[in-house]
Amino acid sequence: MAIIRDMIPDFDLFQPASVDDALALLAEHGREAWVLAGGLDSYDWFKDRIKRPKVVVDLGGVAELNGIREVEGGLEIGAMTTLTEIVRDARVRSQYPLLADAAEHVATPQIRNQGTLGGNAAQDTRCWYYRSGWPCYRAGGNTCYASAPKAMNREHCIIGRSRCVAVNPSDTAPALIALDAKMIVRNERRPNVYDAEDFFIGPSTDITRMTVMKPGDLLTQIHIPAAWANANFYYEKIRDRGSWDFQLVSVAAAFQVSGGTISGARIAVNGVAPYPLRLEAVERMVIGTEGDEAVATEAGELSVLGARPLRHNDYKIPMMRNLVRRAIRSAV
Amino acid sequence: MEFWRSAANPWGQDVLIGVSWDLMWAAIIVAGLFFVGHAIWIKTRPAVEPAPTGASAAGLPERIQRHSLAARLFHWTMSASMLVLLGTAFVPVLGIQFDWVQIHWIAGVVLTATIVYHVIHSIGWQDFWAMMTVGVGEGIATLKHIMSPKAPPPPKAGKYPFDHRLFHHTIVVVGLGVIATGLLMMVRIDTPFWTRNPYMLSDSLWGVVYVVHGLCGVSLIFLTASHIYFALRPEKLWITWSMVRGWIDREHYVAHFDPEKWVVGEAEDAKKGSIASGAVADASVSVRREDT
Amino acid sequence: MAEKLIGTDIAPPDLIAKITGRAKYSEDFRADNMAFAKILASPMPHARVRRVDASRALALPGVLGILRAEDVPQRDGPREAVLTDEPHYEGEPILAIAAETEQIAAAAIELIDIDFEPLPFVIDPLESLRPGGPNAYSGGNLFSDDAWSEIKWTAEDFAEIDAGRMPNAEAVVEWSKGDVSAAFAASDLILDEVIVHQSLSHHPMEPRSNMAYWENGKLFAHVSTQSAQRTKYAMAGMLDMDPEDIVLVAEYCGGGFGSKISGSTIMALPAFFSRKINRPIMHRVTRAEENYIGRARPGFQSWLKMGFLSSGKCNAIDLYLVEEAGAYGSGDNGTAGMVADLTYTPQNMRFRAVSIYTNTPPKAAQRGPGGAQIISMMEPILDKAGRELGIDRLEMRMINAPDADVSFGPRDSQLTSVHAKEALRMGAEMFDWAGKQSLSGQRVGSKVSGIGIGLSPYTAGSRGFDGLMLISPEDGKLHVHQGIGNLGTHSIADTARPAAEILGLNWDQVEIVWGNSSRGMPRSSVQAGSQTTHAHTRANHAAAMDARRKIQEVAARTLGGAANAYRMDNGVVTGPGGRMTFAQIAARAIELGGEYDGHTLPDDIHETTVPAATGLAGKGLMGVAKDNYGGEGGIYSWVAGFAHVELDVETGVVEIKEYVGITDCGTVIHPRSLGAQVLGGSIQGMGMAMTQRWVFDPQYGVPFAKRLYTARPPGILDVPPNMSWGAVGIADPQSPVGAKGIGEPPVGAGAAALTTAVADAMGGKCLCRTPLTPDIILAELEGRTRAHGRLDMHVG
Repeated sequence: MAIIRDMIPDFDLFQPASVDDALALLAEHGREAWVLAGGLDSYDWFKDRIKRPKVVVDLGGVAELNGIREVEGGLEIGAMTTLTEIVRDARVRSQYPLLADAAEHVATPQIRNQGTLGGNAAQDTRCWYYRSGWPCYRAGGNTCYASAPKAMNREHCIIGRSRCVAVNPSDTAPALIALDAKMIVRNERRPNVYDAEDFFIGPSTDITRMTVMKPGDLLTQIHIPAAWANANFYYEKIRDRGSWDFQLVSVAAAFQVSGGTISGARIAVNGVAPYPLRLEAVERMVIGTEGDEAVATEAGELSVLGARPLRHNDYKIPMMRNLVRRAIRSAV
Repeated sequence: MEFWRSAANPWGQDVLIGVSWDLMWAAIIVAGLFFVGHAIWIKTRPAVEPAPTGASAAGLPERIQRHSLAARLFHWTMSASMLVLLGTAFVPVLGIQFDWVQIHWIAGVVLTATIVYHVIHSIGWQDFWAMMTVGVGEGIATLKHIMSPKAPPPPKAGKYPFDHRLFHHTIVVVGLGVIATGLLMMVRIDTPFWTRNPYMLSDSLWGVVYVVHGLCGVSLIFLTASHIYFALRPEKLWITWSMVRGWIDREHYVAHFDPEKWVVGEAEDAKKGSIASGAVADASVSVRREDT
Repeated sequence: MAEKLIGTDIAPPDLIAKITGRAKYSEDFRADNMAFAKILASPMPHARVRRVDASRALALPGVLGILRAEDVPQRDGPREAVLTDEPHYEGEPILAIAAETEQIAAAAIELIDIDFEPLPFVIDPLESLRPGGPNAYSGGNLFSDDAWSEIKWTAEDFAEIDAGRMPNAEAVVEWSKGDVSAAFAASDLILDEVIVHQSLSHHPMEPRSNMAYWENGKLFAHVSTQSAQRTKYAMAGMLDMDPEDIVLVAEYCGGGFGSKISGSTIMALPAFFSRKINRPIMHRVTRAEENYIGRARPGFQSWLKMGFLSSGKCNAIDLYLVEEAGAYGSGDNGTAGMVADLTYTPQNMRFRAVSIYTNTPPKAAQRGPGGAQIISMMEPILDKAGRELGIDRLEMRMINAPDADVSFGPRDSQLTSVHAKEALRMGAEMFDWAGKQSLSGQRVGSKVSGIGIGLSPYTAGSRGFDGLMLISPEDGKLHVHQGIGNLGTHSIADTARPAAEILGLNWDQVEIVWGNSSRGMPRSSVQAGSQTTHAHTRANHAAAMDARRKIQEVAARTLGGAANAYRMDNGVVTGPGGRMTFAQIAARAIELGGEYDGHTLPDDIHETTVPAATGLAGKGLMGVAKDNYGGEGGIYSWVAGFAHVELDVETGVVEIKEYVGITDCGTVIHPRSLGAQVLGGSIQGMGMAMTQRWVFDPQYGVPFAKRLYTARPPGILDVPPNMSWGAVGIADPQSPVGAKGIGEPPVGAGAAALTTAVADAMGGKCLCRTPLTPDIILAELEGRTRAHGRLDMHVG
């Protein structure tokens, strides 16, 4: 079969109006179904004729997946809420500016208007070997091209590799982890609630998926607990250019401070591992300190312990170390 | 059912990437059917009395040493590595995901080391050719006896019965296939000793390596399962125990073995160097000459 | 009194259509019964088609036909064909399928059973130069005198290279002037550097989509091209047909940057396919396809030795360039050598180069070809010399920049005018160069400031083309017929303004006729090399002077009196015998016939102007003339760029805080448009230096970064909000209008202002490669190992 790209092949399009209908469709079509949110990841795959679902379930018409609601114990954000809505929402901006900040770092205004929080969190990796349709492990094949001796792996991981060395590309994912968000995943049988850090999985858990979601599963809501409302937040994303670019390394952190010392901390880094990486050792280390320069430096060094670079991404070690340092510096 | 998996390589050429996992299921199903069939066959077959032998229990110790401690440790090391290899290879295919690669290659290295030891030892310290010999007449007689209980049982073997030797040779072929391809595949992974190079062979040659590895791997599902099945059969437990305890009792020796071929006791030394055919390795263990 | 047009802002005539989306680019056109073509592209960097079975594809309902390499002309050697059975880069078109819809055509491509034999390939020219290294073509890696040969360097050459030194290796191009070794011996400072400039794809916004159909033996072609009149002739050449049987429509072009100069090879595909299956064919090129069949700037791997006197004067240059020529060759290296000599005036220079075919997408001129690269590469070295000699970096440029008496290059070329130093002075003042010196190396928090400066020349004109215009009896307006393309630079309008001014017209009394060859296009320059502003203000000046004379004569013959006593203003001619409107003049010209309405044409106009003018004869008063103003020497414009950056030493991220670009491009015709070119070109240079990239997998020889988000041309957030520009505004003495072109030189200025500013922020450390992405900057700052060799290409 000759290869051609850039032309979407045919599929059956379903546009359910309710979550139940959507779940029924996903259950009915199983592995052949594809969930379409904002389409910014999906259409790339379709266009290149690499992922070729028979059935596409477009969630655009499912009203109950939209919007931000105040609920007891925090905010509940529908998975189809656009990134622009999150950036503009007054409650998010005032209480959880970390999330607004992260969402605002996604791509471009046009993409944020179309892209959704659920889609951003659940998106596939951008490893260009994988996205070129090469038969790598993640694509069901038997090799990783990106970690070959002379491979172009500047964007790939320094931690957590397991055959695959791709990284999670999401800007919002580390913020969701830092906020201790709960991801509500439904299927025909039952709803499951995952801590954000458990929602994202690495290749050692399943090399073909980026999240816990399996065929039939649907991310419906994201719950942001009030516990971290109004904490001291830090977000930074390093990228090659100022817009429309995925991170090289990003950091999201939330600190609770009392009496000049850090009493609570949640820190996550993305772009360094196949999943957004929570830095629990660093969190434990900085709690009880004032987050001064010495602590920040030590935290930075601790964060990169065990990091192992590929040929072209050694720079990620100092970059991650420095971002963690900066996050700690900002805490108090 | 698919036999292998292929994919378009980065240049759009169709290349093999491995066996189809349908074969894994096939191996599991065939093994299951075989065991059920065998169990029924044994149940329905009239009991066959072991033919009388000229052997006399007189002068023989109560416990006949069959496997030295070293041989037993060696057997169990190898079986553990084989089980780990099969588990790490196929459990993820069954849907239970874990980081299997490192465990798999380390187990593979352990297996390889035991095999190397076994090969060197069997060539250097044992009568290699005698071990490797399988007689055609012996095979025909065994087959006839299996087909019809009325047929005379085949002549008694030396230390290793005919079926054990046959199994050993099958394992040799499959095992060497899986080890050779597995070792080759080691260059594709990062180890503490080298950085991976997936490009040592061409895509299509790698495909062949993967298919051979996969075919041997699914064969080993069947072979290993059979080995365990027979080891656990009640009528074979006495010989299974010998791999734990190291000895068999005198009665089993007298009943099942030809003392001309498996010489026990003082006659042993006289036979050294001209051991009769039949004294071959056990199915999956090495037999050290000094064991006998 | 008619308004003054030269030097004032106007709204170009295509503005509203572009803003509202009414403008039709080639892929927006539809013809009755039109079918769509899709191409099957080579998946390998070098291969031979062994077997094609298209039977299943052709059996698919809706599929109309197939076009193979054998259906289109093929030429020997490294010469591109529309389709080929021996592709020399991944993405090269092999065959095309036409179908009722694109979806069907794409599905049909997938049904084609095709077998390629992979052949040896090379993507790095140095690899091809290694002893026993692979060649891009089966015949070799060098093509000259219509024959293939091999050029390989020796193991000793590579030992020198590995030691970080310039090899004394066999060159294909070599020239020298002065006494280079004596000059180096006399130098007080010698710098020896290894520098890499990346190769990067053009990526114009509009991919090169084209549509064509045939009616009664005439070809109607809708083409994405930078030029127009010249594209028609290029198309005629490709199809081996009479140019007058082609109607070429190319009103709008969404950018080309040198990749669509007279169209492109692929533009002939719809014409061939349409002729074969007798249906109009639209071929829409996708972004990923554009990455392949669009063009790319060649990269350089180079060794540079520069000698300086203690005064700061560069007295010797020894430059060796290895150019990555792609599948079909490149000539950037020659310009690079010329520009180096021009900019630093060493008087003693040796230039050597090899341009090696590689199995990468074809190379072509990209805005400032050769010049932009070499300026981006050499300016940080000039700075280094300034630092070592204790001379201000602006002063280093004032010391070394040429004056009007410059002679440069192997043939001691002269220039019409040079005001580089004025540009530097003006820029230094606008940027406050002296005041900003205190910022250099200043650290606030994790951010260190750097100040950069880049001086960049490039060709900016040509001579001898034709102008063609008509005053209509219906509306009395001046209809200026433009054969140049509409690349988005406004030159279709701006080059008409001298004509309007000569004829005393307001801008609303001028109609620009462009983009459709059936409406009459005079012989024009290609819209490339920044030629058009200079060339066609001259040509239109000449034609307007012709029209002016004819208007005066028609008025005199109608009203009496001496012709030269008639004055014209605001569309009315007034003189001793009274007054006439331009409409009346035009009607009278038709009555008089002969030269007045174009029935008689000047002898010296180009043969390709004749059919256009003949077609317009009798429709009004015609101004038609060849630019005979003459002149000597090359026409070059200059841009001096100044940048202030902040480098975050903890992340390697560079933020551009301010940029000033000052040009010497002669008379300013249209300030707003000029500013867009100076700053737009500078931004393109910033992208070239900082963000844009092209990465290849060395194992399979295929590029990544195929789309805009991975290729990373700069976005608006990558450029400073604080950007300003200015122009020296001194007329070029050899043009009656005085204007020079501006498209090319800003690229080198923008790039060099950044390569120098980043080096400044790093305390004078030159990384000597592009793009300067955060990874390599941070690795350097942190003292970590470099990921790649100093000379590695395509690593981004």
